[in-house]
Amino acid sequence: MSKNISVGLTGPNVAETANALGMRLIELGYNAEVADAAVVERLGGPEPAVFACGLLVRNGVIVIDTLSSVRPDGERLDIEIDENDTPDFAAEKILDDLAGVGAITLEETGYSPEEEERIRERLASLGYIE
Amino acid sequence: MPRQQAERVLVIGLDCATPQFLFGPERFDLPNLQALAQAGAWGLLESSHPPITVPAWASMMSSKDPGTLGFYGFRNRADYSYDAMTTATASAIREKRVWDILSRHGKKVAVLGVPQTYPVKPVNGWVVAGFLAPGADADYAYPKPLKRELEEAIGEYIIDVKGFRTEDKEGLLTRIHALMENRFDAARYLMKTKPWDFFMMVEMGVDRLHHGFWKFGDPAHPKFDPGNPFRHAIHDYYQALDKRVGELLSLVGDETAVLVVSDHGAKAMVGGVCVNQWLMNEGLLTLTDALDAPKRIEDCTIDWTRTKAWASGGYYGRIFLNVEGREPQGTIPAAEYEVFRDELAARIEAMADHEGRPLGNKAIKPETLYKQVNRIAPDLIVYFGDLNWRSVGSVGFDGIYTFENDTGPDDANHDYHGIFIMDDRTGRGGEERAGLQLMDIAPTVLDLLGVPVPDDMQGTVIQ
Repeated sequence: MSKNISVGLTGPNVAETANALGMRLIELGYNAEVADAAVVERLGGPEPAVFACGLLVRNGVIVIDTLSSVRPDGERLDIEIDENDTPDFAAEKILDDLAGVGAITLEETGYSPEEEERIRERLASLGYIE
Repeated sequence: MPRQQAERVLVIGLDCATPQFLFGPERFDLPNLQALAQAGAWGLLESSHPPITVPAWASMMSSKDPGTLGFYGFRNRADYSYDAMTTATASAIREKRVWDILSRHGKKVAVLGVPQTYPVKPVNGWVVAGFLAPGADADYAYPKPLKRELEEAIGEYIIDVKGFRTEDKEGLLTRIHALMENRFDAARYLMKTKPWDFFMMVEMGVDRLHHGFWKFGDPAHPKFDPGNPFRHAIHDYYQALDKRVGELLSLVGDETAVLVVSDHGAKAMVGGVCVNQWLMNEGLLTLTDALDAPKRIEDCTIDWTRTKAWASGGYYGRIFLNVEGREPQGTIPAAEYEVFRDELAARIEAMADHEGRPLGNKAIKPETLYKQVNRIAPDLIVYFGDLNWRSVGSVGFDGIYTFENDTGPDDANHDYHGIFIMDDRTGRGGEERAGLQLMDIAPTVLDLLGVPVPDDMQGTVIQ
């Protein structure tokens, strides 16, 4: 479970970075939702969107706000995206920031069980382990 | 002489490249590497403890010791149970490596074949993973389309030498050369097509060559046969390697500082110490299996209630103690842990070789080596016979010494020093440098590129 936090993004490639960040958070086992213009519209405007996103944040979902208008209660991380960063790399930097404030931990598993066994056999063949 | 900031830095990593072939009295004729050393500075580069690919490259590029990094080899205990082990992938590295830091300073980085870069993580540039990628079918490149782009440019990206443990030495040598050519083809392609500020590659073939061919070229090796057909295999490989290094050097100018480094060296392997067999003989490890042939310790049934220690093998030994309150069926009272560990270390260091001479083992407590000891370290790190002997984890041998490797031929062990060459374009004229350590490389790269060196880096800038 993450801390109750939302991320506000501004700058270039906001939509792409928000999507990349959301996918990475889900890969890491966290719940994340992107609050973009389409979502805000479907929720009936900024005010209900803030309310709905507040509920999500309160329940441990990391809300990624691309409009600067969805500011649910709880901790907030405002990020200005560097124009030189690709969305993937910008997302990676934001993950560091989220880890830095204790909102997430960056523990990942490297291999599937099958891959792990392939690698173990390869390392044994190479003499690194025995 | 003070140096100017470099516009770019090129790091060529040669896993296991060993100083005697470049700098020693019997050095090979390697015009490109030696010209680079003569233009700049060179010396021995002290490896990490242990001097193994993992953790060495990560230690070099993060400037953190293995204890701080929290991994002590390729495979590490995941917890204090007896069988949970994990492989130290890129995901095991919590510290930033040079390319992560440079990316965050807006530098374009290209990283090729460096160990522990799989799973690939986004950087400000390009990553092609090293030999811990599961296979050619894996997503081994960042960004993802780079994999296809690279394969269209050079053909299959060879992850590692296949069929390493073989008596077909001719075939093995061909495959080791193919790995090297493939890695340098990839390097040339990336260097020419990507606008990098920092480029780093690691070539693993040198390591595979040493392990597979050392006995053929070293008259001091116990298995050396002067009439063997592979007498010059290592020499010829280094010369081919030197040509490919020269090709890369021709792609850069004086704006680029160049480093050539290795993570450890190599030396002749005399034999193996069957460390678990020894622990059994000492009454410290009890199996319930009948042993009629060599068997991996992982495949044995251990009577933990009658076991105080067990070990993992490889190029060095890792001893684990069975401690009450820590391991599930611990037998060593926690209060007696230090006394037991000291006594065991003393017994290991007192071991004699097969001819009754002192082996010269070192049994080292991790906390004496590292600034921090994170995750689960071995209780003792053991170098058998000053690394002239490997650690054999399997059991079921006739004695505690073996001169055949049950997983196939292997002639070399790792040595404590690798190579360092740096031409930072300040005209150093071949200065020999002493006292260098792996962890000095990362801060030196940052300094060359004018990027602040983080305070927690444990190495120092090589001026």
